[in-house]
Amino acid sequence: MFTGASKYFLGLAAAAAVSLVLYLLFVTPNDLGAIALGTVVLVAGTLAGITLFNRDAEAETIEDATGAALQPLPNSVWPVVCALGVALMAVGLASVAMVFLIGLGVLALGAIEWLIQDWAESASADNKFNNFIRERAISPLELPVFAAIGGGIIAFSFSRIMLAMDKSAGAILFIVISSAVLLVGFLIAFKPNFRGKIIAVVSAFAGVALIAGGVATALSGERAELAEASREDHYMHKECGEEESKYFDKVANNRVPLRSGVVATIILEDGKLSADVIGYNEPQNSVTLQRANDSSVLFRNKDAENRRLVLNYGTEVVGETGVEEKLYTCTQLTGEDQENVLVVNIKKQSSVAGPFTFTVPGVDDAIEVVVP
Amino acid sequence: MKINKMLSPRRLAAVAGILGVAFLAGCATNAPQDTWQPKGPNAEKIDNLNWLVFPIAGVVGVIVIGLILYILMRFRDRGQPIPKQTHGKPALEITLTIIPALILSVVGVFTFRAIFELAEDQDTEMIINVTGQQWWWEYDYPIQEQYGITQPIITSGQMVMPAGTKVILRETSRDVIHSFWVPALNGKKDAVPGRIHLLRMEADEPGIYAGQCAEFCGLSHANMRMEVIALSKEDFAAWVQNQLADYKAPATDTLAKQGEEVFLNQCVRCHQVNGLKRADGTPAIAAPEDNVHSGAAPNLTKFMTRNTFAGAMFDLVNNKCRADVWGASATEFGAKYLTGVTEECLNTTKLRAWLRNAPAVKPMYANPEKLEPTEGKYRGMPNLNLTEDDIDKLVAYLLTLR
Repeated sequence: MFTGASKYFLGLAAAAAVSLVLYLLFVTPNDLGAIALGTVVLVAGTLAGITLFNRDAEAETIEDATGAALQPLPNSVWPVVCALGVALMAVGLASVAMVFLIGLGVLALGAIEWLIQDWAESASADNKFNNFIRERAISPLELPVFAAIGGGIIAFSFSRIMLAMDKSAGAILFIVISSAVLLVGFLIAFKPNFRGKIIAVVSAFAGVALIAGGVATALSGERAELAEASREDHYMHKECGEEESKYFDKVANNRVPLRSGVVATIILEDGKLSADVIGYNEPQNSVTLQRANDSSVLFRNKDAENRRLVLNYGTEVVGETGVEEKLYTCTQLTGEDQENVLVVNIKKQSSVAGPFTFTVPGVDDAIEVVVP
Repeated sequence: MKINKMLSPRRLAAVAGILGVAFLAGCATNAPQDTWQPKGPNAEKIDNLNWLVFPIAGVVGVIVIGLILYILMRFRDRGQPIPKQTHGKPALEITLTIIPALILSVVGVFTFRAIFELAEDQDTEMIINVTGQQWWWEYDYPIQEQYGITQPIITSGQMVMPAGTKVILRETSRDVIHSFWVPALNGKKDAVPGRIHLLRMEADEPGIYAGQCAEFCGLSHANMRMEVIALSKEDFAAWVQNQLADYKAPATDTLAKQGEEVFLNQCVRCHQVNGLKRADGTPAIAAPEDNVHSGAAPNLTKFMTRNTFAGAMFDLVNNKCRADVWGASATEFGAKYLTGVTEECLNTTKLRAWLRNAPAVKPMYANPEKLEPTEGKYRGMPNLNLTEDDIDKLVAYLLTLR
């Protein structure tokens, strides 16, 4: 029995196949075009096969298959979702690209769901049966996608809240939420009476609160020191100075030495620099770093001003110009009682290419760096 | 099998022979890496712990193995019916739990005490930085004016330190994980890239103490050796003074001067000799970071003050002179060591073989094709294809680095 859907998909697959042949024969082909047409052939053919195999949603007769159109149809939310998607796309075109992309995703989702629902409603005059085959067709796709979207919204909202809150308050909130989740889980497991509406209401309330909190904190922005750190990238054209730098060690936090140990801690306090070096019992005014070896140095700022640590390690000739350029690297701006790390690897001996120093712009002091 | 057959005279003789060889091997006197011959307070702490733990572990081991053997023989399957099975014997179970717990508690108390004592670093008198790489150790001495070290000293192969001084080694690695182990002076400590690990080192008396990298680190791991040289405080001061002394260029029109030119053309790409200058008067600066993957090569300043080379794999002195230094008494040792490598003592055969084709005498890479430079860099010392004439000149030049 060839019903409307299978005829449609077969026709589409055939038309795409013919187009593909003509394309390959008469048009200068490229991979993308062939892949696109081939994909249409494949997808339409597969869908035609599915509809044929299922005899168009298991309709027993053509009367059954077409009779559904005569029955009162249930309400559908998907046209509204599609409208929302179109609206978001329109807003996105006028504002932020991300909104446009979200709208596109919403429109695609709504369209797919709408098409599947429409396809299922054409199966028979029995809405219950139609709903059953709709779920059978779409659930394997719908459940993981909705779970991923829901999980993403929760994770994103939660991360916005944590990034906006004070570090200590964030830790407390985390403990409270995890304890609450544990408690609810315990109640669900051991108090079956809790199941049902109460859980649904509590979950809905928590979900709304989480999303509302996420939106609010996303709008208010991250906490001060994070916002400051992220702004540094906007000043990358400037030198290692008191404020901004293009030379700051952007990947320091990703390097292995930071995760394993620091060679020395440089401390700025009362306008003076001192070095707390592993193996030494007293503060040092010089640090020995192994040549040609990654060494991580921690900068601890005990000054009221935001400061950064700068390592000056000689000069190098730029290209074939013969011009000597100073070599230096530095930490990100570091607030009072904050720390930042610098990972350095110096190739030359300080006795021939030095002197090398750790300095802090705006502070009249230095730590000597010795590279044997 | 019958017990009589199992305990046949031939079998017993074989077992006794194996045990006898093992016992005799433990009696070797010429065993510089013997963990049971401590030569410093840190190694003595470990040794003292061993003397507590080993008898206890030995007695427990003998009892357990004896019981197992007895049960194996006494209750072996002879086709008898399975005896009645019992379950639970609280008194016995509690006893067999408490006894090991008590033994472990006693051992644990002494072990933890030793661990904390070995980790002590508040009484440090001297610091040496130790950097491992495939397959040699680099030692650099930070400025410590109380020992006359007014400029950093950098050396390799042999680590020199004053005897009777609490030295802290700040260990790290440039490539993979290595482990610094001189059994006569302390236990082993891993050298890990990116980390600084501290290891106490102290020698009671002047002498040479041999060691070996104790963490498998690649093809030539077995060839990654080290020697610690302990000198009296006066001799150590003399060693420092010599290490910091200015570079002395070879006299003109000598073979050594020609060797200096070969060195400038070939070796200085990786090996630094402090004070060496090019013909135009500019300092000759090594750039191992541009030429070898490890980014480092041994600094050869005062090369002939060391008794080993190539990661302490080879002796720089011949057997006779080596025996003379190794066999010297504590009072005579310093003077003999500080003499350095004379022309008569030089192990010319090994040094020439190394200069002729280093990878042929110390494996650098499993796949010989990989010995060719990749990305413009070598793995370890390459074969420089030196002529015999160049080698003569280089040997003459290296002999001047003292």
